[in-house]
Amino acid sequence: MELAAGEKEEILKHVGAVLEEFKTTRESLVPMLQAVQKKVGYLPELAMEKIAEGLDIPAVDVYGLATFYNQFRLNPPGRYQVKVCMGTACYMIGGKVALESFERRLDIQEGETTPDREFSLERVACVGCCSMAPVVLINDMVEGRVTPTRVDGLLLEYKDGEEKISEENKEEARTKGADNSSSNEEGERSA
Amino acid sequence: MSVSAKDSYQKLKTAAQEKVKSLNDRPVVWVGTATCGKAAGAVDVREFFKEEIEKRGLDVRVMEIGCMGHCYAEPLVIIAKPGHPRLCYGYLDEGLTRRLVQDFLEGDDPCYEFALVALDPNDFFPTFTDFPRGVYEKKIILEDCGFIDPESIDEYIARDGYEAVAGVLEMEPEEVLRQVKASTLRGRGGAGFPAGVKWEACRKAAEKTRYVICNADEGDPGAFMDRSILESNPHLVIEGMVICAYTVEAAQGYFYIRSEYPQAVRRVNNALEQARDKGLLGNNILGSGFNFDIEVFEGSGAFVCGEGSALVSSMEGEMGVPRHKPPRLTASGFRGKPTVLNNVKTFAYVPHILRKGVEWFKNTGTEKSPGTAVFTLVGKVTNQGLVEVPMGTTLRQLIFDVGESVPNEKEFKAVQIGGPSGGCLPESVLDTPIDFDSLYDAGAIMGSGGLVVLDEDDCMVAIARYFLEFTQQESCGRCTFCRLGTKHMLDILTAITRGEGEQGSLEILQELAEDVKNGSLCNLGGTAPNPVLTTLRYFGDEYEAHIKERRCPALMCTHLVAFYIIPQKCSKLCNACVGSCPTEAIYTRDDGLKAINQEKCVKCNSCLKACPPEYNAVVKLSPPELVEERERENNK
Amino acid sequence: MSAKVTLTIDEKEIRAANGDILLWTALENGIYIPNLCAVKEREMPAASCRLCFVEVEGKKKPVTACTQPVAEGMVVNTRSPRVDRLVKTAFELLISDHRLGCSKCPKNKSCELQKIAKERGFRLKSKRLKRLPKKEYIDDSAELFIFDRSRCVLCERCVWMDRHVVNSGVLGFSRRGIERSVTTFMEKKLAQSPCAGKCGKCVEVCPVGALSFKDKSERENGSPEGP
Ligand SMILES: Cc1cc2nc3c(=O)[nH]c(=O)nc-3n(C[C@H](O)[C@H](O)[C@H](O)COP(=O)(O)O)c2cc1C
Ligand code: FES
Repeated sequence: MELAAGEKEEILKHVGAVLEEFKTTRESLVPMLQAVQKKVGYLPELAMEKIAEGLDIPAVDVYGLATFYNQFRLNPPGRYQVKVCMGTACYMIGGKVALESFERRLDIQEGETTPDREFSLERVACVGCCSMAPVVLINDMVEGRVTPTRVDGLLLEYKDGEEKISEENKEEARTKGADNSSSNEEGERSA
Repeated sequence: MSVSAKDSYQKLKTAAQEKVKSLNDRPVVWVGTATCGKAAGAVDVREFFKEEIEKRGLDVRVMEIGCMGHCYAEPLVIIAKPGHPRLCYGYLDEGLTRRLVQDFLEGDDPCYEFALVALDPNDFFPTFTDFPRGVYEKKIILEDCGFIDPESIDEYIARDGYEAVAGVLEMEPEEVLRQVKASTLRGRGGAGFPAGVKWEACRKAAEKTRYVICNADEGDPGAFMDRSILESNPHLVIEGMVICAYTVEAAQGYFYIRSEYPQAVRRVNNALEQARDKGLLGNNILGSGFNFDIEVFEGSGAFVCGEGSALVSSMEGEMGVPRHKPPRLTASGFRGKPTVLNNVKTFAYVPHILRKGVEWFKNTGTEKSPGTAVFTLVGKVTNQGLVEVPMGTTLRQLIFDVGESVPNEKEFKAVQIGGPSGGCLPESVLDTPIDFDSLYDAGAIMGSGGLVVLDEDDCMVAIARYFLEFTQQESCGRCTFCRLGTKHMLDILTAITRGEGEQGSLEILQELAEDVKNGSLCNLGGTAPNPVLTTLRYFGDEYEAHIKERRCPALMCTHLVAFYIIPQKCSKLCNACVGSCPTEAIYTRDDGLKAINQEKCVKCNSCLKACPPEYNAVVKLSPPELVEERERENNK
Repeated sequence: MSAKVTLTIDEKEIRAANGDILLWTALENGIYIPNLCAVKEREMPAASCRLCFVEVEGKKKPVTACTQPVAEGMVVNTRSPRVDRLVKTAFELLISDHRLGCSKCPKNKSCELQKIAKERGFRLKSKRLKRLPKKEYIDDSAELFIFDRSRCVLCERCVWMDRHVVNSGVLGFSRRGIERSVTTFMEKKLAQSPCAGKCGKCVEVCPVGALSFKDKSERENGSPEGP
C-alpha cells in the first residue's frame, strides 16, 4: 500500500517514540505492536520493519506476530469499526443474522473496510453483555438487541447524523470531568 | 526484628476501617459499572444520579462497583442509607433514577415496589436467601464482587483483605504449601489440576528464579467471570498471587489479561499501584523481608494463548504456539524458568482458604472437588449472569432453580458446558452433580465455566458447528490433527447443516473427532471435538434428520428452512411483516394478503417476530420444499 | 557420557544412552517410524507432524517417539491398531492438503510422504477425506531453488535451519490455523530477501517438494512423463 504524504513521517515518529518507551528486548514486541497500532490505527509495513530493526530480530517474525494475533491489523480500519459479537449467546440469538445484515448493507465481508473507509466490519468473541444479545459494538459503543431493521437504523444514524459522535464526545468529556473515585474509562479505546 | 507482618497489617486495617466508616455514615449510591452494566447504560444512570443529587443539594456519594452477577437486571444500583437495609434496584432508567433520588434519598420512602432485593437482614424486604437462587448459591470468590469499590484498597482491607498475606508471611513456606495441598484446591482454568501439587513442583525446582502468572486470557466465547472478578475485586486475586509467590519463592509475577478487557486491565493496574503504596507488594512486603511485584501483560487475542506453553511464548514475544509437554511450566516456563500458572479463580480461593482454614473450605463441595463452581449462566434461561454454587449441585438445580428455567414456555433441550472444549448434555443427564470428574464422565468438562442453556429452537448440529468453527479458526495451526482435522470436521458439519450431508458422513465425523482428540499436540485440539462427540452421542437423531430428510428439527439451519405466511391466518389490515423485512421479500398479493418471495428471503426471522400474536401467521417450515406443498394445497 | 540403558522395540533388544530420544534410537537400529518434522539437533522437538506415534508399555495412550526419552526396561511397539489408526489419519490429513502430481514433483522418489506411504501401505489418495482447495503459490525468484507452498507440510524444518544453522532470519511463519504458512516478510519474493535465496540450506532439509533445487526440477519438468 502506498503511504500518503506525511503519513510516513507520522509513522516514523510514533515508532521512534515506542522504541524509546519500551525496553528493546524481544519481550517488548507485543506491547510495542499494541502501542503502535493504538497510535496509527494499524501496523504499516514500515513500522514493522523499523521495530524489527530496533529489536534486532527478523522482520518476518514481526510480520508473523502481526498476522497471528486477532488484535493486529495490517490495513487501516474504517472511521466506524463495527464489531459484531459472536459469543455463544449472541450467536444463538441472532448474531449471525446481524453480521449478515451488515455485510449486505455495507456490501463488504467480515474483515473488510468499505472503499470510502467509513465502516469496517469484524466479529468479536463475547463482549460480556449476553443478556442484551445480539450485541454489536460500533467504535466501542454497545448496541444491544440488534435486528436487521436496527442495523439499517444504526447505519443511517452513523452515516448521516454526526449525532452519535457528539454523543460519544459528550460521554468522554463527562467521564473525564467525573469525580475522582472513578477512572476515565470511556475516553480510552481497546484499539 | 522490629514489627511483625501482622502488626503492620493491623495498622493498615484500623486505618482502612476508620476511613470506610467515615465515608459510610452518609448515604451512598453504588452503580454497577462492570462491562455488563455499562453495556446496559450504567454510565448514564450514574450521571442521572449525580445530576439529580446535585440539583437537590443532597449529601450523597455516588460510587462505582463491579458486577453482582445479576446481569439480566442491569443497570443495577445499590442504595445504602443509614436507617435502612442496603437495597438493590434493577432495570434503572432516567425516570426511576430521579424517582429514587426524590423519594428515597431526599424523602425517606425506599420505593420497595422497585427494589429487587435487600442485602442486609431486615424485617421489611426479602434478602437473597429468601429466593431460590440464594438458597442454592454459596458465594466464596464472588462474595464481595459488586459490593465493594474495586478501586479502593481500603474497602478490601477493611473486610479482612490481605489478612491472609499477613498471616502467611509469619509462616514457613512449607507450611503454607501443606495447607494449600491439604485443601485439595483444584485449578479452575479447565483441567482441575490440584494447585498444591503444581506449587510443590515449582518449589522443588532447582532453578531459583521463578515466576507466578495469573491466567486471565479467558478465551471461551461464552464466559466472562474472570473478567468480572478482576473488574469487581482485583485485590482478592492479587492477594492469592502474593501467597503463591511466597510459597514458591518467586519474586516476580504477571497478570496475562486479554487486551479486549481494557477495564479489567485498568482496574488491576490501579489495584497493583495501591497495593504497592501500602507495602503489600514490592520490596519488603509488610516489613517481612519478602519481595514480590506484579506486572500486567496484555494478550493480543488468540484463544490458544490460554494454553500454558503458548501463553508463555506470547509473553516472550513469539507466536502463541504450544509446545510438547513435558517439560511442564513448573520445570521450564516463562524465560525457561519454573513458573506457576493458575487461573484467576484458582488464585481467588487461596486467601479464603488460608484465612478461614482448610476444613472450612472442604466443608463446601464434594470430597474430590471441594469449594464452589462459578458459571457464566447465559442462553435460554431467565436469570442470566454469574452464579456461584457449591460443587456437587446438580445441573438441574443450577438451571431450573438458580436460573429459574427456560423462558417463554419453551422446552429445555440441552446445556452446553465448558465452551469450545466442553460438551452438550441433554435433559437425561441433568441430575449429574457439578464437579470435575462427573462432568468429564458425562462427556463435558468444567472448562472455563461458560454454561449456555439451549431450548427447542436451538439446533444441536448448528451448535456443534458453531464451536468447531471457533476452534478451527483459533487453532494455532502447528500440528496436523488440529490444523487439518478440525478443518475437515468443520467442512462435514457445514455440509450437514446445508442439507448436503452424505451417507457415511457421520462415521467419518466420529472417527476424525476421536483421532483429533487423541492425536493433537495440545489440549486445544485435544478437546475441540468434545462439542461434536457429545452431540453425536446424545442427539444423533438430529444429525440423521439433517442428512436423510434434509430437515432441521429445531428450524434453525437457514438452508433447511423456509418462511411461509399462512393465508388463512394473515390479515389484510396489517402490514407489520412488510415493514420488518430488510430485503423487501414480502409482498401484498392481489387479495390483500401477504406472501414471501423465497428468492429474496434471507431468513432473518424479522417477519416472524413482527407478525402480531393475534395472527401468528408466519411459520418456518423444514425441509423448505414444504412451502411449495402448502402453496399447492392452498391453490386447490 | 550418560549411562546405557536397555530397551525393547518391536521385540528387539536395543542398547542406548539414557535420555536418548526414542525416534532416533529406533531409526539408528533399523526400525522405521514415520516422521516428517523431527530434527535430531533440535532441542525442543516440534512434534507437529504427529506421524511418529508408538505404544510404550505402561502409557495410556500412544506417544510421539520424537519426544519420548528412552529408559531402562522400556518396552516399545511401533505398531498397534491404535497407532496405525492415528498415523493413517494424520497421513491422510496431510495428503488432503498437499498438492499431488508426484511425477512432476522434483522430489519424486525421494519424498518422505512417498516413503511413509510405501512403508505403511497407505494410498496417496484418501477415500474418506475430500481434498482441501489449495491456493497455488510458487516463488521461483531465487537463483538456486523453487518454493512451492502448495506442497508444504509445515514440518518447520526449513525455518529451524534458517534460524539455528544459517542464522539468516528470512523464513518464518505467518497466520494461524489452516492459514499457517512458511513465509518471508510481507510474503516478499525470496530474491528480494536479505539472503536472496543463495545458500539453499533450507532446501536440503525439506522432506517433500516444497523447497527444491532448480537444476533438478528443470530436468524433471522436461521429462515427457504424464501426471
Ligand atoms: C486452548 C486452551 C485454552 C485455555 N484457555 C484458558 C483460559 O482462558 N484461562 C485459563 O485460566 N486457563 C485456560 N486454559 C488452561 C491452561 O492451560 C491452564 O491449565 C490453566 O491456566 C492452569 O490454571 P489452573 O490450574 O488454575 O486451572 C486453556 C487451555 C487450553 C488448552
Ligand atoms: S516426528 Fe514426531 S511429531 Fe513429527
